[in-house]
Amino acid sequence: MIHLENISKRYQVGDVSVSALDNVSLTVEKGEFVVVLGPSGSGKTTMLNVIGALDVPTEGQVYINGDRLPLVSKQTDRFKFRRETVSFIFQSFNLFPSLTALENVQLVLDMADAPDAREKAIEVLNDVGLGERINHFPHELSGGEQQRVAIARALATGNPVLLADEPTGELDFRTGVQILDLLRRQAEAGKTVLVVTHNREISRVADRVVELSSGHIISDGAPRGGKVSIAELSW
Amino acid sequence: MTNLRFWLRWSWRDLRERWLQVAAIALIIALGTGTYAGLGSSMPWREQSYDTSYAQLNMYDMRVLFTNGSYVNGEELIAAVESIEHAGWIEAAEPRLIAPTLVDVSDGEDVLVPGRIMGVTISEDRSAVNGIHINAGRSLTAEDSGQPRAILEYNFAAYYDLPPQGTILISGGQALDYVGQGMTPEYFMVISDEIGFKEESDFAVVMLPLETAQTLTDHPEQVNDLVLTLADEADWETVRAEVEAAIAAHFRGTGVSFMHTEDDPAYTMLYGDLEGDDQIFKLIAYLFLAGAAFGTFNLSSRIVEAQRRQIGVGMALGLPRRLLAFRPLLVGAQIALLGVVFGVLIGVLISNLFGGMMRDLMPMPVFETPFQWGIFAQAAVLGIGLPLAATFYPVWRAVRVQPIDAIKTGHLIAKGGGLTSLLARVPLPGKSFTQMPLRNLLRAPRRTLLTLLGVAMAITTQIAMIGMLDTFNEVIDQGEQEFMQDSPDRMIVALNNFYPVNAEPVLAVEQAGPVAEAVPAIQLGGELLRGNDSVEISLELLDLDNPLWTPNLLEGRLESDGPGIIIAEKAADDLGVGVGDTITLKHPRREGMFAYHMVESEIEVIAIHANPLRYLSYMSRDQAGLMGLENMVNVLYLNPADGSTATDVKRVLFAQPGIASVREVGMFIRIFRDMMSLLVGFMSVVVIAVLALAFLIAFNSTSINVDERAREIATLFAFGVPVRTVTRMTMVENLITGILGTLIGIGLGLLSLQWMLDSRIETMLPDLSLSVVLSPLALALAILLGVVVVTLTPLLNLRKLTRMNLPSTLRVVE
Repeated sequence: MIHLENISKRYQVGDVSVSALDNVSLTVEKGEFVVVLGPSGSGKTTMLNVIGALDVPTEGQVYINGDRLPLVSKQTDRFKFRRETVSFIFQSFNLFPSLTALENVQLVLDMADAPDAREKAIEVLNDVGLGERINHFPHELSGGEQQRVAIARALATGNPVLLADEPTGELDFRTGVQILDLLRRQAEAGKTVLVVTHNREISRVADRVVELSSGHIISDGAPRGGKVSIAELSW
Repeated sequence: MTNLRFWLRWSWRDLRERWLQVAAIALIIALGTGTYAGLGSSMPWREQSYDTSYAQLNMYDMRVLFTNGSYVNGEELIAAVESIEHAGWIEAAEPRLIAPTLVDVSDGEDVLVPGRIMGVTISEDRSAVNGIHINAGRSLTAEDSGQPRAILEYNFAAYYDLPPQGTILISGGQALDYVGQGMTPEYFMVISDEIGFKEESDFAVVMLPLETAQTLTDHPEQVNDLVLTLADEADWETVRAEVEAAIAAHFRGTGVSFMHTEDDPAYTMLYGDLEGDDQIFKLIAYLFLAGAAFGTFNLSSRIVEAQRRQIGVGMALGLPRRLLAFRPLLVGAQIALLGVVFGVLIGVLISNLFGGMMRDLMPMPVFETPFQWGIFAQAAVLGIGLPLAATFYPVWRAVRVQPIDAIKTGHLIAKGGGLTSLLARVPLPGKSFTQMPLRNLLRAPRRTLLTLLGVAMAITTQIAMIGMLDTFNEVIDQGEQEFMQDSPDRMIVALNNFYPVNAEPVLAVEQAGPVAEAVPAIQLGGELLRGNDSVEISLELLDLDNPLWTPNLLEGRLESDGPGIIIAEKAADDLGVGVGDTITLKHPRREGMFAYHMVESEIEVIAIHANPLRYLSYMSRDQAGLMGLENMVNVLYLNPADGSTATDVKRVLFAQPGIASVREVGMFIRIFRDMMSLLVGFMSVVVIAVLALAFLIAFNSTSINVDERAREIATLFAFGVPVRTVTRMTMVENLITGILGTLIGIGLGLLSLQWMLDSRIETMLPDLSLSVVLSPLALALAILLGVVVVTLTPLLNLRKLTRMNLPSTLRVVE
C-alpha cells in the first residue's frame, strides 16, 4: 500500500543543513494500524508529511498502491493525491472555525462533489458519536469532540489512508483513548492508519510500531511486550 | 522601558515580518496626509497671493458707477468729490471711461469677441487706484495719452496665446496698438455682466489712456466711472453719502450706484472660492485620512492579535501591562511615522502639481507657493495621531485579557457572544464551501466592517468627486438644450446703448446681408424681492411669440393680461414663490435721455422657465413701458442667413456704430465647459489618488486575511483543495466586501456630494440650480474600483499561496 524507498529529507537552516530523514525505507500494508514513535525532532512528522505529499523528500521515492507519488513536478497532481488518497488528522484539529461540525465534515464531501453530502456527513458524525452535536461550532465543542469532528472529516473523504499527527496530543487520557479506539476501528475496517506520536503507551495498541531517532528507523515491528487492548492503556 | 533599543529592535522585526502590509498601510497614511498637506497648501497660497496682488495694485475701496448711458465731465467730477466734507479720507480718486466694444484679434483664426474699453488716467502715480501689472510688453506712459495705444488684458491674451505686442481692432473698425499685456484687479478673473465667471475666452478688456477712450467713444472730457481708495480711518458709508450728495448737486438727474471692494465680481469670486474649496479639499483629505485610520486599525488589530500568545507569555512572566502595550504601540507609531514621511513627499508632489496648475489657470500678479510648514505640521500630527489612536483600542483590549486566556489555543476563534454568535447562525444557502466566504465575514463582523468601511471611504471620495463633475455636466447639458432649442446658430447682438427700434444701429443689424432675421429685445439688470429674500437677475424683455427663440416653460404661460414675469425654478424656490404669486421687481426706469433710477414694481409670476440658471428672467417687450423703454431696444437676437457664418455676421456688424458685442449662443456653453475643464484637471489628480487608496486598502485587507487564515488555507490544501479553489473563495469573500463597501461608499459619496453642493451653492454658484446627478460612468468606475479591483486583489497573493510551507503552517498554533 505505502512504500518509502530511501527517503531523505534535509532542511537548510541558514548555512547549516539539517537532516530530518536519512535514507529511510518503509512499507505499510493495507489495513495496518501503524504507530510511528519517536522523540521530538526524530523525523516522524516529516515522514508523515512526505507520505501525505505535504512535503517533498530531498531524495528517494514514495509509492502508494504501486504508483510513484508525484513529488516536485506537478503540484496539481499532489493536490489530487491528497484529495483522493490520504486524509489528515492534526494534533490541533485544524477545524474551520466559521463552520459547524456538520459543515466541517460536509465541506470535504462538497469539494468532491459527492451526492447527498449532508446525509453522509451526518452519518459519519453519528459514527464518531457526535450525532447530537452536529450543529455546534468548533469553539462550542470540547477538545475530544473537536478531534472526533476532525476524524469524521477525514473519514468522510473515503480515502484509504489516514494520517494522524499526534491526534491525542491535546487531549486528556480518557478522550485520547476514545480517539485511539476510533482510529483502530478504521484500520479494522480496511483503512491504512498511520499515527505519529511520542507517547510510547499509545504504540502498545498498534499492529506495528516504527521507531525513529535522528531521522533513522531504529526499530520496526510489533509493540514491545505485545499488542494490548485499548482498555489496558494508561498514561 | 530601560532599553529602548531593545524594544525598537523587536518592533522592527514585527514590521519586517509584515513589511508588505506595513508598506501598504504607510502608503495609505501617506495618501491621507499627502492629500491633506497638498490640498491644504493651496489655500494659504491663494489667499496670500490674492492679498498681495490686490494690495500691490491698490484695489479700489469704493467704486461709483454711473447709470448706463450717463456721462459727466471728468474734471468736474473730481472737483465735486474733492468738495465733500471728508475729502481728507479720500487717498486717491480716478475717473474712468468704460464702454462696451468688440475686439478683433484675428490672426489666422477668427477671434472676434465682445469686450470693454477702459480709459484710465496715465500719470506718474498710475498705480494710485487699480494699477496695471504688466505681464508682457511695456506699460502706458504719458506719451501714449491720446494715441491709439493700449494694454490688452492678460487672461484674454494668454487664452489665445497672443504676442506681447500687436494690433487689434475695436468697434467701428478702429485699430489700436497694444504695447503690452497686463492685469488689473477687477479682471484678475475675467467676468462680464453677461455670464458671470471666467470669460477670458470670450471677453477682452482693453486698457487705454483716458483721452484715447474719450476720443474713440466720442465723449470728449467725459467719464462714467470713478474709483477711490480711502484712508484706514475713513467711514465708507459717510464717504458714500457725501459723494452721492455731491454728484447729485453737481450733475442733476444723473443716477449713480456704489460698490464696495467686496462687491467686485472677481474679488468676490476669488475669495468666495477659497472658503468653498477649502471645505471641499478638507472633506477629501478627511476621507483619505478616515480610510487610512480604518486601514491602520485593521492592521494593528491583527498584529496585536497575532501577538496575543506572546502578550500572554509576557503576562505570565509578570511584565506590566504598559510594557506589554509598548511593543504594538511602537509598531503603530513607526507605521504612522513612515506614512507621514511618505505623506510629506506625496504632499510636496500634490502641492507642486496644484501650485503649477493654479499659476496656469488662475494667474495673478503675485503667485508665490512657499512651503506651508503649518499645514504640513497639521498633516503630520493627523497622520501620526489618527493611526496611533487606531492602535490603542486593540492594544488596550489585548492587555486586558487574563494570561490564561491569552495563552490558550483557540482564543482567537469567534466566541458565542453578541452579534458574532447571532450572525454565525444565520442559515445560508449552498454547499458548505460556497458558504465559507460569507461565514468568514460573519464570524468577525468588526473586522469585516472595518475593511468594507476602508473600501467605502475610497468609493465615497471617488463618487463625491466624479459626481460633482456629473452634476455640473448635467446642468450644462440642460442649459445647452434650453439655450439652443431649435435655433442653435442663434446670435446675440448687444448695442452700446438703448436705441429706438427704428434707429440706425437697429436697422443696420436687421438689414445686414448675412442676417436672416432679427428680433429686438431689451436686457436689464434687476432684482427680485420677496420679504427679506432677494435674487439678482438679468431681465430680458422680448416678443414672446417671436419665431427665433422663447423660453421653454416648466409651468405657467407666456401670455399675461398685466405685467408678468417668467423666472427660473431656482429663483422661485429661493424666494418661495410660484406661478400666480406677485413679486417685487427692482429695475431701472429711464428718466431723461441718459438717466435711470432704480424703482420697484409689483409683478405677477406668470411662468417658470426650464433654464437651470437662476438669474435669467423674461418679460414680454410689451411691458417695456414699466422701465420707460417703450419701443426701445439694446439687444437683438438673430439667425445668420443661409450660407453665412457667425464670423460673417460679426465682421459685418463689427463695422457698424452702436454695436457693443456679437456673440453666438453656443459661446455661453463653451465658457461653462471651459470652467469644467478646470474641475476635471483637479479631479483627475484626486481620482488617481483614490484609485491607489482603494487598491491599497483592498490589497492590505486581503493580504492580512491570507496571513490570518493561513492555517485554514493550509488545511484546505492538506485535503487536496486546489489553490484556484482557495483563491476563488477569497475572491468571493472580497467580492462580498467589495459590493457592500461600494454600496456604502456610493451612499456616503452621494451624501458628501450633496453637502458639497449645498455649501458651494450658497457661496460660489448661487445662480446654478444643482441637484445631485451620478452618471453611469461614475457608477461603473465605482464598481470597477470597489468591486472588480477588490475582488481581483487576491490574485496578487497567488504566489504566497503556492509557496506556502504546508507542514509548518499546519503545525503553527495560530
